[in-house]
Amino acid sequence: MRTLIEANGLGIEFYRNRKRNISVREILFKGRSTAPKETFWAVRDATFSVTEGEAVGLVGANGSGKSTLLRLIAGVMIPDEGEVQVHGGVAPLIELTGGFQGEMTCRENVYLTGGLHGLSKEAIDDRFDDIIGFAELEDFIDTPFRHLSSGMKVRLGFSVVTTLDEPILLVDEVLAVGDRKFQEKCMLRMEELLSGNRTLFMVSHSEINLTRFCTRGIYLRHGELVLDAGIEETLKAYNEDLDR
Amino acid sequence: MAVTVSELATWRRVLLLLVRRDLRLRYAGAWLGYVWSVLDPLMMALVYAFVFQVLIGVRKIGETPYILYLLVGMLGWNWFSSAVTEGCRSLTGEAKIVRSANVPREIWVARTVVSKMFEFLLALPVVVLFAVYYQHGVNWRLALFPLGLLLQFMLSFGVALIVAPLTVLADDVQRVVRIILRMAFYLTPVLYSLNHVAPKQHWIPIAGKLNPMAGILTLYRAGLWQQDLLSWHVYVFTTVMSVLVLVLGHLVFKRFEGTVLKEI
Repeated sequence: MRTLIEANGLGIEFYRNRKRNISVREILFKGRSTAPKETFWAVRDATFSVTEGEAVGLVGANGSGKSTLLRLIAGVMIPDEGEVQVHGGVAPLIELTGGFQGEMTCRENVYLTGGLHGLSKEAIDDRFDDIIGFAELEDFIDTPFRHLSSGMKVRLGFSVVTTLDEPILLVDEVLAVGDRKFQEKCMLRMEELLSGNRTLFMVSHSEINLTRFCTRGIYLRHGELVLDAGIEETLKAYNEDLDR
Repeated sequence: MAVTVSELATWRRVLLLLVRRDLRLRYAGAWLGYVWSVLDPLMMALVYAFVFQVLIGVRKIGETPYILYLLVGMLGWNWFSSAVTEGCRSLTGEAKIVRSANVPREIWVARTVVSKMFEFLLALPVVVLFAVYYQHGVNWRLALFPLGLLLQFMLSFGVALIVAPLTVLADDVQRVVRIILRMAFYLTPVLYSLNHVAPKQHWIPIAGKLNPMAGILTLYRAGLWQQDLLSWHVYVFTTVMSVLVLVLGHLVFKRFEGTVLKEI
């Protein structure tokens, strides 16, 4: 089995006040910045590896660094310590509507986001009907994106990202979107993808989804990797910590 | 740092995608979009021609026909200044998409500079129209034009790579940049020619060396006015400066990349 994700002493440090609020004016007139310097490590010393076909669930309280870890793997954040090597492309179900532009139509947005995620124009041409069909937006192809309802927006995002044929799937709480009918479709598609030997790395607070999709669990507490075991065992440890 | 073939392919594909999108937005409603992008430098050229030739009626500060001379300078300068001012916002303006797409981050900056370059190129037919109207001849030095393009691209990209991450860290960088650009406009031979206004002959190459945009603008104009060229060592200097600014931009961008992704 090939190793697809390798994290080695991975760490990233943030300022406690997210916006550092430096200004040139302040530096010029006061000679220094008064922005607070206090920092914390969102993730630190994370070492693990994931092999092909594994499905890993990331468990932990809010603010324990789960999403940050996912972003580090997705390559949209750069670690301050250690490194993470990802062998193969990533389909990130993170901030689904992030790449979409309100003033552009659905069609243009599909081409833009698909392109940013590594698809060529021809590849998108081939999949275009499937993407729109899955999102059930046939009547809105040339509607400006901002005119869609919020449910429709995430449906389109989900549809684009899940048609990428990358071997690694990163999921941040967005396993299923839209109304109940569509959520069931999402679940089916996820199962379809996973049966195709994809590697899954997901963040979720839903025990049902975690046990349904994952075999392995990683428990993060204050940015620290506490436990890396089977999903049942990890969830048990997490719940025991909560009940204590 | 090894750049692989596949990375270059990504660069090309994504950059084309973004630039095409920018241009489509810019020229939406085809005619009007185009008119707007040309009208601004054209009107400004008319205003300056009016001020210097009619109102003040000063001695000759540029080549004739002055309006044509101004127009080339204004268009070239506009590319630089809009690439830098919009370069400031190239990361913050697209925060959501920068945060969610794993493409080389320099592409967001390059995209602004390249889009502005296309606007510059698309405005050139207006220069041709004016040249034809004044029956102004061209010479072989028109071949220097692409060199000017290349140098200006490196210079603008380098400066934009510096200001873009700084704007993410401190949002008033943009204001500072705007003030500096406005001063630089008058220090650059856009409205005048160094050969006409430098108070002493030996100051011409010094002024030309200190400001890479001076050399670049004369490269654009050389095909129309060969007498306006600066000495060759100014161009060597300009080339070295443009490359250095690009290298510096790359280093600054790499230095702040991680911080930018956290703060954006």
